[in-house]
Amino acid sequence: MSLDNLLKKASVRSPWLFRINAGSCNGCDVELATTALIPRYDVERLGCHYTGSPRQADIVLVTGPVTVQMRDYVVRVWNEIPEPKVTVAVGICPISGGVFRDSYSIAGPLSKLVPVDVNVPGCPPRPQAIMEAVVLARSIWMKKLGLEEK
Amino acid sequence: MSDVLWALFHVCIFPGGLFALAFALYLKGLDRILVARMQRRVGPPVIQPLLDIAKLLTKETLIPKTACKSVFLYAPVIGMTGMAACAAFMPIPGVFDGMYNMGDLLVLFYLLPIPALAMMLGGSSSSSPFGAIGFSREMLIMLSYEVPLLMILLTVAMITGKATGLGTADFSLLNIVQYQLNHGQFGLNPIMIPAFVAYLMFLPGTIGVPPFDVAEAETEILEGPLLEYGGPLLALFQIGSALKTFVVLSLGVVLFFPGTICDIWIFNLVWFMVKVLIFMFIAISLLRSATGRFRIDQAMVFYFKIPAVLALISLVLVMVV
Amino acid sequence: MAGFLNVLLRNIISGPSTDPFPFGETFSPKSIRGRILIDPERCLGCGMCRHVCVAGAINITKTENDWTITIWQDSCCLCRSCVTYCPMHAMSIDPDWHSAHAEEDKFKRIEQHTIEYQPCAGCGKSMRVISLERAKELYAKDENINPEEIRHLCRSCRQLRDAERKTNSLAHPERTTTKVLS
Repeated sequence: MSLDNLLKKASVRSPWLFRINAGSCNGCDVELATTALIPRYDVERLGCHYTGSPRQADIVLVTGPVTVQMRDYVVRVWNEIPEPKVTVAVGICPISGGVFRDSYSIAGPLSKLVPVDVNVPGCPPRPQAIMEAVVLARSIWMKKLGLEEK
Repeated sequence: MSDVLWALFHVCIFPGGLFALAFALYLKGLDRILVARMQRRVGPPVIQPLLDIAKLLTKETLIPKTACKSVFLYAPVIGMTGMAACAAFMPIPGVFDGMYNMGDLLVLFYLLPIPALAMMLGGSSSSSPFGAIGFSREMLIMLSYEVPLLMILLTVAMITGKATGLGTADFSLLNIVQYQLNHGQFGLNPIMIPAFVAYLMFLPGTIGVPPFDVAEAETEILEGPLLEYGGPLLALFQIGSALKTFVVLSLGVVLFFPGTICDIWIFNLVWFMVKVLIFMFIAISLLRSATGRFRIDQAMVFYFKIPAVLALISLVLVMVV
Repeated sequence: MAGFLNVLLRNIISGPSTDPFPFGETFSPKSIRGRILIDPERCLGCGMCRHVCVAGAINITKTENDWTITIWQDSCCLCRSCVTYCPMHAMSIDPDWHSAHAEEDKFKRIEQHTIEYQPCAGCGKSMRVISLERAKELYAKDENINPEEIRHLCRSCRQLRDAERKTNSLAHPERTTTKVLS
């Protein structure tokens, strides 16, 4: 096994998470904080770590139905994240618009603006469902790196 | 010729370089686990810092368009090499005497702020407003903790110099360790206890953990100077900060508790590592999980009010007694 | 501070309280809202669920012979309005909360049923036959009505049958066991 391959294998065990709140009602954000802070869910066990900077992120968690005001910022911040990155849409709002779907102030759904890899619907989703999404995002990240899943 | 080879060995393998890096990363991993356990979580595996660095090496390097490119690129290198050099100076009681035995404590004092300086350089060159705020905060907290540190080092040097008959301060780490091995450790000396407590208070500030992580407050100013860093450059910063943890913790052990348990070097090494772990548990892990974050002015006032005064008391006592 | 340290040290001794979840089992409360299910036996296609759905997740398309009711789980906000308002109690909530999926499966997470009309036993007009279970519930008070028979009748045939029955009971009150006019 080459060094490059070894680094790649190690890298998927340290996914750093970055949150983008694209006009969310904060329900999903509370659940995201829950996965990090409450001992029962402990997302740090997977090597995850919530970063404050998009430059250090690997997995992007987007909440909220991308509002017209937020559209440009979401795309800009998303573009600042270095490759390879995995995008996760958390909650029904970024996936389909949810209860805000036909509003004049909604530019979403998210998949219109950036390529989404994982969806985790729910209003809000359970913390366990978010952790499942992180695990799924990790396997997609492995595929992007060209690694076979064990 | 062999002197040069030995010097290279000390810088690259033991106690600087590989040994320091491996032990420092282990310390970081253990610290994360300890904090997680204190919050009733499981926590990441011990090798998590290593995995983080491996991950960062595979990512692409992004440089902001408006950044000063050369400074932005070299700042993490400066920080890391400064600390790697520092680690080579560190004597390990009963195992290794330190590289130069004349005034190496002064050299250490000048090398210690290098990671903070590198962070300030990186933050100010990144052209990010958060980087600028982080720069000013880092400078302020550095000014605050350098004052008690200088007084603590001076106290230790004075007491050694007086006792060994030099008259003035003795800045040789080897002499300090030798004196303590023969005449009892400074950590148990009643005159030195205020200085020891001040050193424990200095540790979280210099490593940048709560309640003194004002410069890299990720919930406030989004990691401050490190905001624009990612990929391999951030990995260098992480290595630098891990090495700094190792250096300041072992400096504490060397200055206050350098006792050995027997003549066999491997046991002394293990004993030294255990003492560093205990230092880390008290000064970093316990404090980190028990406290929030100071405001920048509170942190500064704290450093000038308590550790500086404690160190001054020790210094005066050493001068008088 | 001292109290804090006490708590921290106690936490170290008592060990972590984390669920082994991504690697092991976790608990799921029985009443958790996971996904909406439709009982195709009961649905009448009245459109009440579509009317009350805030998230616009329910769609009903009608053709001459059948209708298709669709719930897109990725738009459902699990507010439970459809369960409350469905007159036939055809909607229910399943506690399966495993909702994470890859982007390819986004439009595959649907609950869809196509329900066909059947001819009325009386006049032969195409109509929806309600389930036997629901018919028994609805006509439980009146033992003169045979639920199996009446569920196959369209609305006008039911009205005819009812009128017939009422006239009979007025003409021959002794034959009925219950009072129709009360």
